[in-house]
Amino acid sequence: MGFTSRAENTSPITALKMVISDVGAVYRLSVRTIYYLFHGKREKGAIAAQMYAIGNQSMFFMAVTMAFIGAIITFQTGLQSQKLVPDMSMVGATFTKLLIRDLAASVGALPLATRVGAGIAAEIGSMVVTEQVDAMRMCAADPVDYLVVPRFVASVIMSGVVLIIGGFIAFGAGMLVANVMFDVNPHTFANLSMVNSGDVIMGVTKAFTYGGAIALVSAQRGLATFGGSEGVGWATTEAVVGSCFAIIVLNLIISIFGYFVFPAL
Amino acid sequence: MSESVALVLPAKIGSGLLSIASQIGGVAMLLGQILARLNPRKIDRHELFRNLHRMGVRSVPIISATAAFTGGIMVIQAAPFVEQFQATGFIGWAATFTTFREIGPLLIGLIFNGRVGANNTAELGTMAVTDQIDALRALAIDPVAYLVVPRVLAMVSMMVCLCVIGDAVALGGAMLTADLLLDVSPQLFWSSAMERLEIWDFWVGLIKAFLFGLMIALMSCYYGLATRGGAPGVGRAVNASVVAAAAGIFIADYCSTFILD
Repeated sequence: MGFTSRAENTSPITALKMVISDVGAVYRLSVRTIYYLFHGKREKGAIAAQMYAIGNQSMFFMAVTMAFIGAIITFQTGLQSQKLVPDMSMVGATFTKLLIRDLAASVGALPLATRVGAGIAAEIGSMVVTEQVDAMRMCAADPVDYLVVPRFVASVIMSGVVLIIGGFIAFGAGMLVANVMFDVNPHTFANLSMVNSGDVIMGVTKAFTYGGAIALVSAQRGLATFGGSEGVGWATTEAVVGSCFAIIVLNLIISIFGYFVFPAL
Repeated sequence: MSESVALVLPAKIGSGLLSIASQIGGVAMLLGQILARLNPRKIDRHELFRNLHRMGVRSVPIISATAAFTGGIMVIQAAPFVEQFQATGFIGWAATFTTFREIGPLLIGLIFNGRVGANNTAELGTMAVTDQIDALRALAIDPVAYLVVPRVLAMVSMMVCLCVIGDAVALGGAMLTADLLLDVSPQLFWSSAMERLEIWDFWVGLIKAFLFGLMIALMSCYYGLATRGGAPGVGRAVNASVVAAAAGIFIADYCSTFILD
């Protein structure tokens, strides 16, 4: 991404041009990925292997992170509502609604992008600098079909799964913190009265969208790697920053859209 | 020794815990070495200023963009509750309180981790696998004083400065979103934020930024210097460092949220 340009001095206009051209490159890659999704050859087991690497192997890290996120958000919501209304009975309902509608997917997607994005970019990047990708092209195998499509499918599915499981973990951690810090009974905390179907649709949409964005941005950065092993380090950096930034921008777009289509209350 | 099937899982858990323990120990030892170099002060000034510019000044665009979007997102998330309680006067406070205390430092920290931390690990890791660090030692230049201390100081101080910039930009982004989406005038937003927001909320964010910066700096330098195994090792080190720093950020956030009530 233009933000992480490795040149020591770039003018803001050059940087902006680079951001725009990177967005274009990710767009072109997504079009090709979607084309090959329906027209490509299937390598047996590739998607399952990627699902294992992206989903199962991130699960422990994500479980720890999401537990902390749940605890932090409950504590923060509790502090904030203590200042507005002394009644703590609605903390659970408010927390659950926020968690489902936005925070489980959006905050959880950032550590996931760090883990998954860095992995995808480092793997594809080392293939590029060791000329394995060129060898693939020589064999008339499109790298998008063989490398990007399985990672894209696996990342979309497993991000959804990991973030939904993570949401439950965050809910449990929040319940625990509310009980210990604010004396909120777990029964009172588990209050789904404020959650409606729009919230669930929003949350799930976000989780799956972020999965796709992480895979596409990181794969694009990986394929664009140049400059030996140092280049792989740069590609990894750019993949993490690019995916995190894509998540934040997509969050704003989906949230504004959801604000009008699925009113929160 | 032959491994029986029943021992595979305990052995895995044990070796995992041992490796985590040795990593935490390594990071703690690095911190000790850095503190020893600060008193009396042994810092390479040229390296320090180069890193301050490279890590701090050049991160301003991405941090500002992140912060602006964060401010907007917080307003949109707070909007339904504000509308429910008919309290448009609270929107300024509700959005800025969370942004200053929690989401601002957290998101800026995660982006900073990806941009600066990963880059730093890659750089130190490349130096380590190409024996440049041993070469420094052979020239009687202390690698910790020359490479690590300026980087750690630059990351910690720049993280705090970026958090101040991020807070200001997030305030602007939140105001704009509130104006466009909820018809809350910037004046109302500002007065509601200033009336209820305490200066302590701002300080909490900065203390967190300091802790996150320290976490990112220590992890990225430790994993960079500990890189083994050639070019693929650099990739693994970068991956391990960003993940460890992200976990560290969340743990530091959790602890500081409780302590800094």
